[in-house]
Amino acid sequence: MASVEGSFEPRSDVRSTRYVRRAIWYLLVAAIVLWCASAPLRDANMSFYFSFMMWATLATGLNFIAGFAGYMPFGYVAFYGVGAYATGIGLKVLGLPIYVSVLLGGGVGVLLAVLFAPTLRLSGVYFAIVSLSLAIILQRVISLLPEEITGGSLGMNIGVVTDRIEGYYAMLLVLIVALLVASWLAESRLGRALKAIRDDVEAADAMGVDVGRSRLYAWMLSALFASLAGGVQAWFTGAFDTLTAFDVLVTAKTVIYAMAGGLGTVLGPVVGTIALVGIDEVIWRSFPVLNNFLLGLIITLLILFAPRGLVGTLMRLYPRLRQYVM
Amino acid sequence: MNSVLLMNGLIGGLVFGAIYALIGAGLNVIMGVLRVVNFAHGEFILIGSFMAYAMLTMLGVNPLYALPVVAVVMYVGGMLAYYVLIPGLARSDDPETSSFLLMFGVSLMIISVLTWIFEADIRPVNFSFNPINVVLFSIPDAYGPNRDGVVLIPTARLVALGINIVIIAAMTWFLYMTLPGKALRGAIMNRDAIQIVGINVHRLSAAAFGLATGLAGITGVVLTLVIPSVDPNGGADLTLFGFIVIVLGGLGHPVGALAAGVLFGIVEQLSNVVLPQAAAQMVGFIVLVAVVMLKPEGLFGKRQSR
Repeated sequence: MASVEGSFEPRSDVRSTRYVRRAIWYLLVAAIVLWCASAPLRDANMSFYFSFMMWATLATGLNFIAGFAGYMPFGYVAFYGVGAYATGIGLKVLGLPIYVSVLLGGGVGVLLAVLFAPTLRLSGVYFAIVSLSLAIILQRVISLLPEEITGGSLGMNIGVVTDRIEGYYAMLLVLIVALLVASWLAESRLGRALKAIRDDVEAADAMGVDVGRSRLYAWMLSALFASLAGGVQAWFTGAFDTLTAFDVLVTAKTVIYAMAGGLGTVLGPVVGTIALVGIDEVIWRSFPVLNNFLLGLIITLLILFAPRGLVGTLMRLYPRLRQYVM
Repeated sequence: MNSVLLMNGLIGGLVFGAIYALIGAGLNVIMGVLRVVNFAHGEFILIGSFMAYAMLTMLGVNPLYALPVVAVVMYVGGMLAYYVLIPGLARSDDPETSSFLLMFGVSLMIISVLTWIFEADIRPVNFSFNPINVVLFSIPDAYGPNRDGVVLIPTARLVALGINIVIIAAMTWFLYMTLPGKALRGAIMNRDAIQIVGINVHRLSAAAFGLATGLAGITGVVLTLVIPSVDPNGGADLTLFGFIVIVLGGLGHPVGALAAGVLFGIVEQLSNVVLPQAAAQMVGFIVLVAVVMLKPEGLFGKRQSR
């Protein structure tokens, strides 16, 4: 009964594949960090690297709730927008330093997630529609707030008081934290609980998994990184308004990038972002008119031919790869 | 609020409500039969509007004559689109959420093409009836002693309302009195069971998709009568109003959507009269969230054991 003997301590081949799996993932993370950290020194196109880091953060954040917990928040941009506005208000109205303002934005985002937590009762399309509606309501609420606080229809301009380079490295820091949290989650008790819930709620519940609490944690983590990304994006670009901060395309691109790689694995959203941000940049530069057309086409083709994304499809074709994918 | 404004709000509510009812009915046919969340419905409506606009400006065709042409073209186009888009969804782990994303992709493509052909400006539709307005009735002493108020409605809106009522009546008749209509309702109730009685589910689904896009086309033409301008970016709002309506009326119930559409139209128009604009725009979404959270089967639906 070899399998029983080995059941307490992982067998050596299990342990070694785990090391390989971790090595692949952390090498990729290290490569991304080096590549992005050196971009300003290499005189590379900073906006491009910044947008890569931002989308990778957002896609990883979305993966917590969509990939691990199985909810599709079509109003994900709500957290991003609230993060931007809380950062702007912290900086301009409350006079806090930018670092504190961004953290405030993250805090407000998590608070909002707790406020929206009852929507986790809903499933499938209902959740998606309600999430989208809440994002729209939030946008209108912010545009109704007094002009002295939110800048009204002109939006907020914080570029004068912030430094672009600092914003760039802040994004890198947020991305690193997001990736580390993702790698922790993949191997943690919470991550396994979430996957169990996603695959079969009743079974997970029967095994003693706290369904509500696990989902709430995933939801809060998702919100945290989206609102931090929104805040740092405001820091880097220096200006935003209710239209850009709550643009449905932010949700759409996040979902596409995450799905292109494959939801549910830590590697997927990062791979998807690397692939598509590059393609998006090329498209944007050569066919500005058709940009949205090609974006739409990519979504359509992805859903029809590779709904599990690059990583997911590869794992399906070659099941042996599964053990090496974080 | 004086009584003239109130009456105008109510009549406007009826006109817009009938349009929302059509949008909701189209969304619900696709939702009910195919379990597809058609995020591109607003853009399908825009295709109808732009076809009417193009026929009017290039050929001088009256939108009323364009209506049947648009309906047929959109019906056929919808059936073809069905075979390209929908069967592939079955491969997905979560077809419903995937359909949402799929149709979002389609909507991006449609907006892009419309913007490419017609450019991003909002364009006026130069078409009017003679006389421009019809006096419905007057309210004595509405603005004080001896100052009667007159309740007017633009002729185009009156015509639009008339067309909508005819279409809605025809659709209700189709769904309840004809064999294909009964098959559609059967597919909404139980997609597997109707195959046992010999219905080709693929052909029925294609017809349902065509019916919904045809309805969207009609809605688009009627919309150019009510709001005489076309805007390639106006689709998302229409889709969202449609979602509000079908959630109010119950997801997948074509007839519930009709009542909910009229109700929502009146509420929306009245809140436009009473509230500031940004607040009035929120009302619908707040109602939607409240209904989903508190009574997910819709205002008129019965709880189902699905």
